[in-house]
Amino acid sequence: MSLNINFAMLAPEILLTVLAFVIIIMGLLISNKSKNMLGYLSAAGILASLVYVIGNGMTEKVSYFYDSLVVDPLSQVFKLIFLIVSLIAVIASIEYFKDNRNQDEYYALILMSTVGMMVVASANDLIALFVGFELASMSTYVLAGFEKNNPSSLEAALKYFIIGSLSSALMLFGMSLIYGITSTTNIPGIIEFFRSAPLMAESSLGVLAMIFLVAGFGFKMALVPFHMWAPDTYEGSPSVVSSLLAAGSKKMGFVAAFRVLVLALVAIRADVHFTFAILAIITMTYGNVVAVSQRSIKRMLAYSSIAQAGYIALAFVVTTPMSIAGGILLALGHALMKGGAFIAVAVVGYMVLSDNKNAKNIDDLENFAGLGKRAPITALGFFVFFLALAGIPPSAGFIGKLFLFYSITVQAISLSSSWLLLVVVIAILNSALSIYYYARVIKYMYVLPPKGERIKEPTAYVVAILIAVIGTIGIGLYPEPFINMAMNAAQVLGV
Amino acid sequence: MFSDYAALIVLLPVIAFVLTLFLGKKLYSGGALLPIAAIAGSFIISLGIFFEIYPGGMVQQSIPWFGNGISQMNMGILIDPLAIVMLMMVSFVSLLIHIYAVGYMSHDPAKPRYFAETSLFTAAMLSVILSDNILQFFISWEVVGLCSFLLIGFWYHKPSAAAAAKKAFLVTRIGDVLFLAGIVMLYVNLVEIINNPANAFKIEPGNFLLQFKTMFEAIPLIDKTQLTYITLLFFGGAVGKSGQFPLHGWLPDAMEGPTTVSALIHAATMVTAGVYLVARTFPMFFATPATIMTGVPDSLLIVAIFGGFTALFAATMGLVMNDIKRVLAYSTVSQLGYMMLALGTAGAVVGAQAVGISLFHLVSHAFFKALLFLCAGSVIHAVGTNDIREMGGLFNKMKITATTMLIAALALAGIGIPFINIGTAGFFSKDMIIEKSFEFGEKTGGWGWIFYGFAILAALLTSIYIFRLWFMAFTGKPRSERHSHESPNVMTVPLMILALFALFFGFSQTGFYGYLEKNFELMGVEIAVHEEAAQLPVIIILLPVIVGVLGFLISYAIYYKRMIDMSKIISSENPLYKLLLNRYYEPKIGADLIGVKLTHDVVAQSGEFVDRKIIDGLVIDSIIGNTIFKIGEIIRKLQTGVVQNYASITILGVALLLVLLKLKLGGV
Repeated sequence: MSLNINFAMLAPEILLTVLAFVIIIMGLLISNKSKNMLGYLSAAGILASLVYVIGNGMTEKVSYFYDSLVVDPLSQVFKLIFLIVSLIAVIASIEYFKDNRNQDEYYALILMSTVGMMVVASANDLIALFVGFELASMSTYVLAGFEKNNPSSLEAALKYFIIGSLSSALMLFGMSLIYGITSTTNIPGIIEFFRSAPLMAESSLGVLAMIFLVAGFGFKMALVPFHMWAPDTYEGSPSVVSSLLAAGSKKMGFVAAFRVLVLALVAIRADVHFTFAILAIITMTYGNVVAVSQRSIKRMLAYSSIAQAGYIALAFVVTTPMSIAGGILLALGHALMKGGAFIAVAVVGYMVLSDNKNAKNIDDLENFAGLGKRAPITALGFFVFFLALAGIPPSAGFIGKLFLFYSITVQAISLSSSWLLLVVVIAILNSALSIYYYARVIKYMYVLPPKGERIKEPTAYVVAILIAVIGTIGIGLYPEPFINMAMNAAQVLGV
Repeated sequence: MFSDYAALIVLLPVIAFVLTLFLGKKLYSGGALLPIAAIAGSFIISLGIFFEIYPGGMVQQSIPWFGNGISQMNMGILIDPLAIVMLMMVSFVSLLIHIYAVGYMSHDPAKPRYFAETSLFTAAMLSVILSDNILQFFISWEVVGLCSFLLIGFWYHKPSAAAAAKKAFLVTRIGDVLFLAGIVMLYVNLVEIINNPANAFKIEPGNFLLQFKTMFEAIPLIDKTQLTYITLLFFGGAVGKSGQFPLHGWLPDAMEGPTTVSALIHAATMVTAGVYLVARTFPMFFATPATIMTGVPDSLLIVAIFGGFTALFAATMGLVMNDIKRVLAYSTVSQLGYMMLALGTAGAVVGAQAVGISLFHLVSHAFFKALLFLCAGSVIHAVGTNDIREMGGLFNKMKITATTMLIAALALAGIGIPFINIGTAGFFSKDMIIEKSFEFGEKTGGWGWIFYGFAILAALLTSIYIFRLWFMAFTGKPRSERHSHESPNVMTVPLMILALFALFFGFSQTGFYGYLEKNFELMGVEIAVHEEAAQLPVIIILLPVIVGVLGFLISYAIYYKRMIDMSKIISSENPLYKLLLNRYYEPKIGADLIGVKLTHDVVAQSGEFVDRKIIDGLVIDSIIGNTIFKIGEIIRKLQTGVVQNYASITILGVALLLVLLKLKLGGV
């Protein structure tokens, strides 16, 4: 590989990395007052990067750095997801962290975590994957605890960090085992090895390695039983950071799993799909059932996020191109819906705090009473996101679920396998159950009387929410290009 | 050149709808000028296209929409003679009504909503007309239904308006479901035909499955019984939309909207859509198998029966109504019956010409019915009541309105001079239908004469009720104290324009028939026409005019000269009068019996019982609901908040996974 390679495909990552350093240096040079501009700068940078990714489009596979990073449709789709999520989060942060004197660090960290996620999306080597994972994780550990004076934010960050480190350790252990078996860290090389020597993949060592990887990725995906940190962290972190965590960094686990696990699953001929079906079902059922009894909306969103991870994990149950495409579609949809929903919670927080500076339990359900009158755009946002999360058309959530459930049904019929059908039935029942807790919030917003005057919703929040609303409904109304994109990405895996 | 912009015919009013809805408040007269300009644009483009394609051209544009393979659906435009005539009429009449509404609605605070909705209404109707496939036709048809709901219930704070809107929506919905069922059945048949290699039936590139063109080409291959079902289901849709018996009840109630809306519904948009549907798919109706005895295609016979009966049935009710708009509403139902009758009887006698005959009456009816409604609106605007018993003596106060309404009444009654062919629009259009029913009777003999009976009797009643209306409103002594005055120019000018058309449109008869006759040949459909130069007895040619004049004289005697004391007849003692005044108890049967008793009390209540008591009460609440809540509470306790526990659970999870996989792999 010659040195004069064309870096155009990596320009989005390079742009964001440079911008992160520029922002840190600017933070040293400019006054605290003028730091508010950094948010706009970051948003502009992310937007530019997003335009770049879209401009590159569904490119042919291009590899960099001795095949450790690749740019292909799969990475492009997930970069799109990560960039949209951080764009929404950054736009909302312009308001959330207004006049905070540490804004330079905040935006630099967000940019770094975004770069980390993008590296994971592109990673074609276990080392690159791990580095990307850690870059994103380290940045988000700090972001979760960014409200230094808020004990629950600190607690959230600490728990996230401890469980995150444990998971990283497990994942690294799994990687080292794989290297031990295959003597390569290159992912296609590993797959190649397991294909030619399936017995090695099914050996105790191989299975153990895979389980460690599942645990590591599962931590990010918040799959049960690796989800314990998620509700506490999502609840305690600043809402904008929760949005980034739930909508963005969670998808990092999925893209890593798509790259590594799907291929491993193909290589291991034994029926490991069943294990994933159990994981997926437990995850979605657990998430939905516990969400029912939550009164804190952020916790409810956290559990709903766990449930959604369960739905997306259905992609691993049959691993057909269609199911993977469904998983990608739901991941994309979930990024918009959940990202938007956490931002909308931030507006509620803003509203409650402007009523009463010392308010506790800001995201309690009671504070949502009459939101439709007090903050109509935010309430509309919630309305759209909740219905989309429940999978009601026309929304991104519906398209994703439709694809996933349909792909499993097709597989169930072609294999005439009754347990696969059962999986679909349970997933649909779960969807029905989830409507209960979403509809309850909608009832609070639109039926119950408001507790105060109408507030002026800050522009930054409104912009962020509207982006997510338009995306959520847009994908639902005109899914064709997104379906093509997801199918393209799924084909990369060659399952 | 104009045909390149055919899509704008629909798009302009749609754009006007959006703009008026959002910006109307800030614009002159609630944004009325936007729809007026847009619809004027539609009219000009339609006119331009007409001159481009006359006498033998057509416009076809089509783009793929969704689906693939043989089920590829499309959106497209088909402007053939049939469509262009309707396009010009609808955009022109709608334009005049919109101009008139600037004056009529001037005091209403919700003007932007009004003009936005009427603009969408017009757009939807125009889209119905120029659709080149049955799916787009149906979608536009539904939008028309939606707009009618919104507009009939425009004053939604009035309970009667809200109820009327609901009734219109629900009753036409019955027709819509039938129509949709017909489309589904057609689709299944077409797909089967294409998939059967024996047929060698292919869709050429650029053509699509549900296009009218494809449908017509496939007619010979569709199973004949199925074709009858399909056309009858289509006709079901037409019955709902065009207010034919037994789905006519919504139309008179729809008077609750502003009068301009009534004019729009009755003349330009909505109700004519049903007739247009039958005319549009006429080759299919024509191809249905014929009963051996009569030689008349089954579906056409059904159309004729419903149409003829409705024509007479509605006219009887028009006789006794006291609400000026209700009289006109029943008149519309009756005239629509004539149009259906024309399609049925003339279709059997002269084949494809029937479409021209029916459409000619449709267009001329649009002119004089719009005129009648706008005159009625002008009267209501002036005296502030709908009840003709409280009017009277308005002639001197409202000369323009009275004169134009008299012209419209003459047109509706079909007054003219036979043999030298001078007369009102209705004289040409309606008399032709009556003559064709006579020829139908001659052709089939026996009970086939009944259609002629329907038509000629309805003509007599039509003349009586419309002149009764006119005499009661404009002559005699004023029966109310209110000071009435002529309406402003913005309202009277459209009246005068429409009056000109009501007077002189009839002279285009020969050209009109000739133009529409070739309509289906242009699409490559052969319709056998039995062209026998029918020699009608002189009395048959004279009779329609005679009954028209007779009706006038009867009304003149009763309501102007007061030669007969009506108080004996108009009493609750008279069972016939009671029957008519209560509209054959249709509201009672339709709304109370079927709507409330059967649907609500029996079906809905028992459904509610099952849902609430059994499903909600037993299953959801006690079994699923409580259990899930309890499990949720229990699991919540697992979330201790202690980070050590979290780490242990993670490790436990790894261990469990290991066990699970080991079990699956059979322990290596």
